[in-house]
Amino acid sequence: MLSVTNLQAGYGQLQVIWDLSLVVEQGEFVALIGANGAGKTTTLRAIAGLIPKQSGNVTFMGQPITGLAPHMISRAGLVFITEELNLFEAMTVGDNLLLGAYSTADKKKTNQNLELVFDLFPILKDRQKQLAGTLSGGERRMLAIGRGMMADPRLLMVDEPSLGLAPRVVIDVFKALKALHKIGVTLLLVEQNVNLTLQIADKAYVMEQGRIILEGGSAELLKNEYLSESYLGLR
Amino acid sequence: MDPSTTANLLLTGLLRGGLYALMAVGLALVFGVMNICHFAHGEYYVLGAYAAYFAYVTYGLDPIASIIIAAMLSFLAGVVTDKLLFSPLRKRSKGDWVVNAFLLTAGLSVVLQNVYRQVFGMRYRGITQYWNASIKLLGMNVSADRVIAFCIALLAIAALWVFLQKTRPGRAIRAVSQDEQGAVLLGINLDSIHTLTFALGSMLAGLGGASLLSLSPAYPFGGNKPLIASWFVVTIAGLGNVQGAIIGGLIVGLFESVSYFYLGQGWQDVASLGLLILLLLFKPTGLFGTQIKSVWER
Repeated sequence: MLSVTNLQAGYGQLQVIWDLSLVVEQGEFVALIGANGAGKTTTLRAIAGLIPKQSGNVTFMGQPITGLAPHMISRAGLVFITEELNLFEAMTVGDNLLLGAYSTADKKKTNQNLELVFDLFPILKDRQKQLAGTLSGGERRMLAIGRGMMADPRLLMVDEPSLGLAPRVVIDVFKALKALHKIGVTLLLVEQNVNLTLQIADKAYVMEQGRIILEGGSAELLKNEYLSESYLGLR
Repeated sequence: MDPSTTANLLLTGLLRGGLYALMAVGLALVFGVMNICHFAHGEYYVLGAYAAYFAYVTYGLDPIASIIIAAMLSFLAGVVTDKLLFSPLRKRSKGDWVVNAFLLTAGLSVVLQNVYRQVFGMRYRGITQYWNASIKLLGMNVSADRVIAFCIALLAIAALWVFLQKTRPGRAIRAVSQDEQGAVLLGINLDSIHTLTFALGSMLAGLGGASLLSLSPAYPFGGNKPLIASWFVVTIAGLGNVQGAIIGGLIVGLFESVSYFYLGQGWQDVASLGLLILLLLFKPTGLFGTQIKSVWER
C-alpha cells in the first residue's frame, strides 16, 4: 500500500534521512522504531509531504505521491497524526472531530466514523463541548487519533503516541491502536517504546542515524541480540 | 446629563460603531488568518464606493442592488489581488515575506490609489442620499442612509458569524488561523482558504464604502480615513480577532461620539489618539489581546 524507495530528506543543508526504503502492505501494522534523533519523525514528515524530499520515491496505493502537496496526500487517504498533535486548541472536541471529516463528502460515513471514534474513546463523547486546549495529555492524544480517524484514512501514520503519557494511559492508547488495526486500518507507528510496540505490531523497521539497520517480523526482532541489548536493556 | 442627550450620544455612537466594526472585522480576518498587516484595506472601501456610485448614478440601479453589486465586485477584487500578489509569494518563498507584508500592502495601496486616479480622475463621486427620508429614533431625526448603513453592517456581521460558526469553509478558516499544519494534514487547501479570507475582508470593506456613499464620496484618496479608523479599532481591540474587532468598533464609535460632544471636533482626534497611547502604554496587546487564540474564538 505504501512504498518508500531510496528516500533522502532533511532540513535545508542538513540531510537527516539516508537512502531509506520501507514497505507497508494493506492491513499491516508496521512500526518504525529507534532512539531519539534517529530520523523517524523526519521520515513521516517527508512521506506526508510536509518537508521536501531531496531524492527518492513514495508510492501510495499504486500512485506516486512524491511531489504532492500535503493536503492532497491527506485527501488520498494517507493521514498523519503528528507528535505535536496540531489540535485546534480554541475549538471544541466536537468541532475538532468535525474538521477531521473536512474532505469527506459522505455524511453517512462521517456519522459512522464519529460513532466509531466515540466507541473507542468514550471520554471524547463526554467532553464533546469542551475546548481542546483544556484536555489532559492522554485525552489530547486520543482526540488527535480520533480526528485522524474522521478523515477516513486508508493508512494512518502515528508519531510517538506514548510520549509523555502515564503508563496507564499509554496502554489505553495502544489498545485503541490495536482496535483500529482490527477493523482494517493500516498503521505505520513511530515509537520509542520498543517493547510495547513490538508486542502489537506485525513487523518493524529499526532506524539509527537516518538509516534502517534492522527489519523483520516483530516476533523475530524481539529475539534479535542487538535489539535486545541496545533497545531493551537485556543481556 | 439629561436622558435625551445620553440617548443621542448612544445612538450616534452605535451608528458609527457599527460601520467601524464592519471595517475592522475585515482587517481582523486578514491578520488573524493570513498574518498580513493589511494597509491597502481602505482601497477596497473606495472600490466599493466607486462601484456603488456607478451602479446607482450611471446605471440607475436601486440603492440595495448597487450596494450588493459593489460588495460582489469587492469580493472579486480580493480574489484577484490574492491570486496575483499573495499566492505567488506563498508558493515561492518560505513565508518570511509575511513579516514585510506591511510594506507590500502599503505599496499596493499606492498602486491602487493611482490606478483609481488614472481611471476615474480626481473628481469626487458622491451622492446626496440614497433614500430621501429621515427616521425618528429616540427623539432624534436620523437620515435613513445612516440607519440603513448600520443595518447592513449588522446583517453582514451576523452573516459572517453564522458563516464562521456553522459552515464547513468557515470552520476551515478558524482552523487555519489556529494551526496551519493541523489544517493541512486534514486536507484543507491553505491557498484556497487564504484567498477566501482576503476576498471576504475586501468584500466587507467594499460593503462599507458602498453603504456610506452619501457620507463619504468616492475619490482616489478616499481610502485613507477608513484605513486609519480600521487600524485604530483593531489595535485597541487586539489584532487578529473578529469578535474583538466587533466589540472594539462599537467601543470606538461610542467613545468618538462622546468625545465629540464634550470636546468638539478639534479635540476629538486628540482624545482618540490619547486613548490609543494610554492603551499601548498599559496594555499593548489590546483590550482582548491576551485572550486571542484564533481569528474567531477568544
